[in-house]
Amino acid sequence: MKRVEVKLSLPVVAPLLDVIRELSTELQKSLAAPQALHDLDQDFRGAWIGDLLASQNEDLRALLSLFDGEFFTEGVVAFDESNAEPIVRACTAFRLQLRERRLKSLGDEALETGEIDMSGLDEPVRKAFMCYLFLATVQELIIQHLDSTIIGS
Amino acid sequence: MPESRSHTRTDPRASTELQLEDAWRVVVLNDPVNLMSYVVMVFKKVLGFDETKARKHMLEVHEQGRSVVWVGVRETAEAHVFTLQQWHLTAVLESDEAR
Repeated sequence: MKRVEVKLSLPVVAPLLDVIRELSTELQKSLAAPQALHDLDQDFRGAWIGDLLASQNEDLRALLSLFDGEFFTEGVVAFDESNAEPIVRACTAFRLQLRERRLKSLGDEALETGEIDMSGLDEPVRKAFMCYLFLATVQELIIQHLDSTIIGS
Repeated sequence: MPESRSHTRTDPRASTELQLEDAWRVVVLNDPVNLMSYVVMVFKKVLGFDETKARKHMLEVHEQGRSVVWVGVRETAEAHVFTLQQWHLTAVLESDEAR
């Protein structure tokens, strides 16, 4: 089984985990990307959203489980075929929520280009933006390093 | 046997109407969060696109705000929309009547 281990800087990443845990709580009962489901009848829509929510929560748990005891002792997280997909999806869910709840003031264009003067940001926004970038980096790492037999086909 | 043959023959107009009725489109809308590489990967994984086709549709979403990624019967279209939404893409189901 192909496995990618990544050594992270504890002092940089540990503070971001507080943000991720807060987001996880917010996302327990709502979808990160609310969807237009006009063509579905009401009962079916309820079941549809319930299934999406269950799937989202499972993904969030997979990402949170990366940051367990080993991370705090070694600073290492590992990706393989068992957790790659849920983690990539969870990163997206957290990034959507960050944009919606923490980073609206920055504007979408700045978020997309990443051209933001970090020194001009308030501490909570700076931390949220760091988290946004960190999660994008995790996604890129997984997409680039785990081959198509694990993810992408 | 001619009678039974005429009984089972399909009226071409009815067939066309059925095809139109059954045509549902899966449309992916742009969002400012998802990485291009992520969208390409999701298209490959969920819809079975090759790299070239996945990139083409990703760029269409990015530049035009939307891309029709699949057309066909409602049941399969719904399944695709659900899976794309599981991957947090903004995917909607449209009937051909909405065109």
